[in-house]
Amino acid sequence: MGRKTCPSITLQRETIMELFSEYFKKDHLLSRVDARVKLGVSLFILAMVLSYKGLAFPLLILSISLCLCIRMKIPFKVFLLRFSEPVFIASVVILLKFLFSGQETMFSIKIWGITITGHKDGLMDGLQIGSRILGAVSVVALLGFSTPFTEIMAGLSWFRIPKGFIEILMFAYRYIFVLLEDAMVIYNAQKNRLGYSNIRRGLSSFGTLSGSLILKAFEHSQNTTTAMLQRGYDGNIPMLKHKPFKLAEVAASILFIFAMGLVWKI
Amino acid sequence: MKTKRLMSKIFILSLFTVHYSLFTVSDAHAMHISEGILPFNWAALWFAVAIPFVAFGLYRLKKFSNSDLSFKPLVGLMAAVVFIISCMPVPVPTAGTCSHPTGIGIPAILLGPAISVVIASAALLIQALFLAHGGLTTWGANIISMGIMGSFAGYLTFRGLRALKANLWIAGFMAGLFADWATYFMTSVELASGIRGDSPFLPLFWKILIAFIPTQLPLGILEGAMTAGMVVLLYKKRPDLLVKMRVIKAAEVTV
Repeated sequence: MGRKTCPSITLQRETIMELFSEYFKKDHLLSRVDARVKLGVSLFILAMVLSYKGLAFPLLILSISLCLCIRMKIPFKVFLLRFSEPVFIASVVILLKFLFSGQETMFSIKIWGITITGHKDGLMDGLQIGSRILGAVSVVALLGFSTPFTEIMAGLSWFRIPKGFIEILMFAYRYIFVLLEDAMVIYNAQKNRLGYSNIRRGLSSFGTLSGSLILKAFEHSQNTTTAMLQRGYDGNIPMLKHKPFKLAEVAASILFIFAMGLVWKI
Repeated sequence: MKTKRLMSKIFILSLFTVHYSLFTVSDAHAMHISEGILPFNWAALWFAVAIPFVAFGLYRLKKFSNSDLSFKPLVGLMAAVVFIISCMPVPVPTAGTCSHPTGIGIPAILLGPAISVVIASAALLIQALFLAHGGLTTWGANIISMGIMGSFAGYLTFRGLRALKANLWIAGFMAGLFADWATYFMTSVELASGIRGDSPFLPLFWKILIAFIPTQLPLGILEGAMTAGMVVLLYKKRPDLLVKMRVIKAAEVTV
């Protein structure tokens, strides 16, 4: 297990940090749009992508999102990290549906006594699911790329998501990076002492690392509460105040949803 | 003849891809159902099923945090821990590659299944928004598999075994194991029902479940060992916390 296999936690940490929108250069048209408007449009488009029977609409959404991502100058590495997994999942689903699902036979071959059959209807089903995955992922990726976490949280509170849940999200987000630092320090110390040199030691080290993270979480939660109480914390975290909606943004988003609705209907 | 040769090539390529997907990379995304994979009706149904559990979890959260102001920060930090653990690569010997655990067993043991559902929901939402792990449209389905099934399986196993006088390591190990396996069982149910189209449910369900076995069988064992390690470490370093959270009785603490 240990010597040559896994990417280290260091890599994980860098990957996670690069994927969060706070680490991007954000000065473009979409980043200035109200988070509530972006959330609303995204939810409408996602519902349309999921309920569409065919390939055209999700692929159109994918194309629009990709063009906007290019326009926003998202770093290629970040873009690749975000899309590699969904692209792979879509490919596997297409292949599985093609080979194992459907009635209309496209081809059938016998290799080493095993009959392999490709199905036309299975392929179409697979392509439909694949396009749906890519279309939906591109919408959420665009939302994540263009909106800081705190604005998404403020937007969610406007959509009447319970405040307690949003507070949990904010605490979690705040401490992900702190705990990642802690995890990295522990991991490096374990690695330097051959803590991952064989399976048994690796398992034990990983258990200790995870347990230490829990202990750190307890410590941080106590310290945070003390610090917050000193600053007047009464059990509720104040949210970002919403600015009034801009008429142009709302009108443009309604127009966009209407136009997409027309394409969806066709 | 040429067609046959072409088909053979396609078949070998397909075999390679299926092998790669099932035995090498599936672990990288096996934990959560990807964005967009479920059709609208199924996505909506799983949301509807998940909402009451999350609402009950939030009710419990409010109740606890009214009497203890440090409770919300603690739950938030536990969500961060679950997020990090589920992003950690863990070696899977049978697959010769890495996978990642769910990390849901420990919050279920420490804070109870209702709060654990909230923790899983928070971790899943952050992953969906910023890492493309899981998704917004499959959030409900993922809450059910990891948050509800994982939490309840882990909690009930731990409590059941402790009632039978099992030691902390065994109870923690089995809780982690069943939390992980229950998550993948439910994920298979959701995936099979969502992508089957007109095909019958059961054959596809078995195919997906079998596809998960090469990575999830050993990963469940690894997660069991991890959960047991965490519980035992807490017992050694901070038994007072385990007593406070009613995981063990005060009489069980040896000085």
